[in-house]
Amino acid sequence: MNSRKLIWGLGVVGALLVLGVMAFAIFEPIQVLPRIRLSPGYLLADQQGESFTSEDVRGDIVLYTFRYSGCEEACDGLDQTMLDVRDRFGEVDLGDTDFRLVTISFDPETDTTEVLTAEADKFGADGLQWRFATGEEQHLANVVKAGFRVWYEEQDDGSYAFDPTLILVDGWGVIRGEYEYQTLKSDSDKIIHHLDILAEEIRNATGAAGLAYEAAHLFLCYP
Amino acid sequence: MSKTIKIILASLAGVIAVAAIVWFFVLPSLAPYNFHGQVIQSNQAAPSIELDGPDGSTVRLSDYEGKVVVLYFGYTYCPDVCPITLSKLDRAMDIIGDKAEDVQVIMVSVDPERDTPEILEEYMAHFNPSFIGVTGDTNTIDRIATTYGVYYEAAEGSDATGYLVNHTATVMIVDKDGYLKLVLPFEGTAEEMAADLNHFLR
Repeated sequence: MNSRKLIWGLGVVGALLVLGVMAFAIFEPIQVLPRIRLSPGYLLADQQGESFTSEDVRGDIVLYTFRYSGCEEACDGLDQTMLDVRDRFGEVDLGDTDFRLVTISFDPETDTTEVLTAEADKFGADGLQWRFATGEEQHLANVVKAGFRVWYEEQDDGSYAFDPTLILVDGWGVIRGEYEYQTLKSDSDKIIHHLDILAEEIRNATGAAGLAYEAAHLFLCYP
Repeated sequence: MSKTIKIILASLAGVIAVAAIVWFFVLPSLAPYNFHGQVIQSNQAAPSIELDGPDGSTVRLSDYEGKVVVLYFGYTYCPDVCPITLSKLDRAMDIIGDKAEDVQVIMVSVDPERDTPEILEEYMAHFNPSFIGVTGDTNTIDRIATTYGVYYEAAEGSDATGYLVNHTATVMIVDKDGYLKLVLPFEGTAEEMAADLNHFLR
């Protein structure tokens, strides 16, 4: 009689655990951004002509864009999204984590330090929170095309065809969001929302809460 | 003591006992393993590697499918960070014992100008005879390092060391199926590395 009760009791506890796990997977009480892949390492020069490397932003959340100074209408949406995010990221409680914007030019021949400085000035980029950078041609191809997987190609007239893309990277150097600019709806709302999710995960990265967030990754609780 | 109170007390004791079993034995086994670095859950295979290895061989990452690969980017003239990391990895191999046969440690040189395959072979054997070092042309090294999130650049050294190479000092673990799963910080200990390796060797 007693052993039957014990089996029942253990059965109930087991069922509750299974139900709890299922509820976690279905209702996703915690959301996380996927850990897509490693962000590339790089050695570039910024608008002040200073060396700028991927290690300089380790520990920071970074939003990257890729463009060239000769880009006009094609970059309007991309630029506006960067400006919107720059103006709105204060809405997110980032705690001690810094947020940076980085614009990488894939046209190093035209985009000299002087040109990058003018571009940065145009957007009110201060050179610390928002950096404009470029580098050696082959290294840029390795970084942008192979690393960030953003396609670009020089055209016969000297302009560039490219995929307007924004990429969100966490402090560990892991890509957490990829946004191909949408012409109908700004990506800035989505990026701010994702920043919020990422910041919450960082704030809860340790202890029991950290385990819950790892479980959320395990159950693919993505927005 | 009335029979009712006895039943209530016995039930309470039972509930506490079951709760303790669940808390100490069931929940820990259900909780995700707590790695000592950053987990990557990419559904894309780790970037390919094809470089020059020992004895004129070509080393490909795909050659080690079925083994856990530990990737490190360093160089033989490295004065501190690389020897410390490789020593920790050697110690981690000792800790995991026989399972080390299913692990391959590979150091990709970020100093291809000085690190020939022969120099790398001698250097790596100094830490552990199973460790291998690989190198290649500068663009191939740049592409591979970049896609693994590694930055490197030449820096001023001394007359004794020659130039130095500043580089990202993380250790990466690629699982038996060729997926990059974990990035360990330089600060990690040999014991932590061994524990994480054991998880991938289960």
